[in-house]
Amino acid sequence: MMGDQFRKVEQYSPKSSPRGARSPVVSRQDSSGTLKTTILLSGKNPSIVPSGPFYLMKEPPGESELTGAKNLMVYYDLEHSYTKFSGKKLKEQLSSFLPTLPGVIDSPGQQDNSSLRSVIDKPPIVGKELLPLTSIQLDGFRLHPGPLPEQYRYTSTIPIKKHKNKHKKHKHKEGGTPNQETAVTDTGIDTHEKKHKKQKRHDEDKERKKRKKEKKRKKQKHSPEHSGGLTPSQHSNL
Amino acid sequence: MASSLENLETQLEMFIENVRQIHIIVSDFQPQSQNVLNQKLQALVHGLQEVDKLKSQVKDVHVPLEVFDYIDQGRNPQLYTKDCIEKALSKNEQVKGKIDAYRKFKANMLLELSRTFPNELNKYRALRGGE
Repeated sequence: MMGDQFRKVEQYSPKSSPRGARSPVVSRQDSSGTLKTTILLSGKNPSIVPSGPFYLMKEPPGESELTGAKNLMVYYDLEHSYTKFSGKKLKEQLSSFLPTLPGVIDSPGQQDNSSLRSVIDKPPIVGKELLPLTSIQLDGFRLHPGPLPEQYRYTSTIPIKKHKNKHKKHKHKEGGTPNQETAVTDTGIDTHEKKHKKQKRHDEDKERKKRKKEKKRKKQKHSPEHSGGLTPSQHSNL
Repeated sequence: MASSLENLETQLEMFIENVRQIHIIVSDFQPQSQNVLNQKLQALVHGLQEVDKLKSQVKDVHVPLEVFDYIDQGRNPQLYTKDCIEKALSKNEQVKGKIDAYRKFKANMLLELSRTFPNELNKYRALRGGE
């Protein structure tokens, strides 16, 4: 049926029509002043029904109360959030958002399989009831005394910021929870190295001073004034 | 809703703190710490139970998946919020500009049409109900 329609269109197409661009199929009814027409395609033969004074006049779309003409930030009561975020320059790291969270959290989650995406991609087994561990199960957590192997200790280090170090001593005094990690942290190692370096510098300075003194002594020995090998004080004593 | 989220946050913080303390105990384990460790392990299970209880209270909270990407990359998720707010505002301004422009265009069009086709426009206005 569609094929027939196309053929008809081809027959009366402006190219092949002897009457030029004007389509012969539709009879013009402009004389009556009816410009608006409705084309019915539902039946076997499509028919054109004049239905009003304007051509292609449609019902306007229903006006919605909420449009982009409104300030939607105010409408949804998000002004506070906007002012909160617009002026402030946010820090890039995740740790600045979760400062209380222990451990290294700024590294990509895919590195240590801790990404949230992996929880969505491979959802964990849920629905099982969570029960307290029995004494037999707890036996499985009986540990040997001693420190953890190096490989596990490394991952647990916490990068401590400089300003936190200042209050380190104070924190220790407060007691609270024992913080053995600080002893293992990189910063701890750094301070140790710094101290070591300072000591080294101090030793070097001492050596330099010694050398200078020795040189001076040698010079004094070779000078004509001290040919006798006596110091001014020795002279006075004589 | 806010209180349920706060509850969940508190529970998670307590859970993390418990795990941190377990880590400290385990990192240089002493035989006398076994009892404390067992208590902490039980507290861990209890913490999970508490978090599980709060599950129903935060059912209606929808989190955009893009936020997870930010967190996974070690980035501040507030940057996502900031980005969204800025984009929304910019789009809002764009749409408002378009709507205002169309309104002006319509007003000018009607004005010019009423000058050129006064009769037709009267008919049109009558059809549109005095628009």
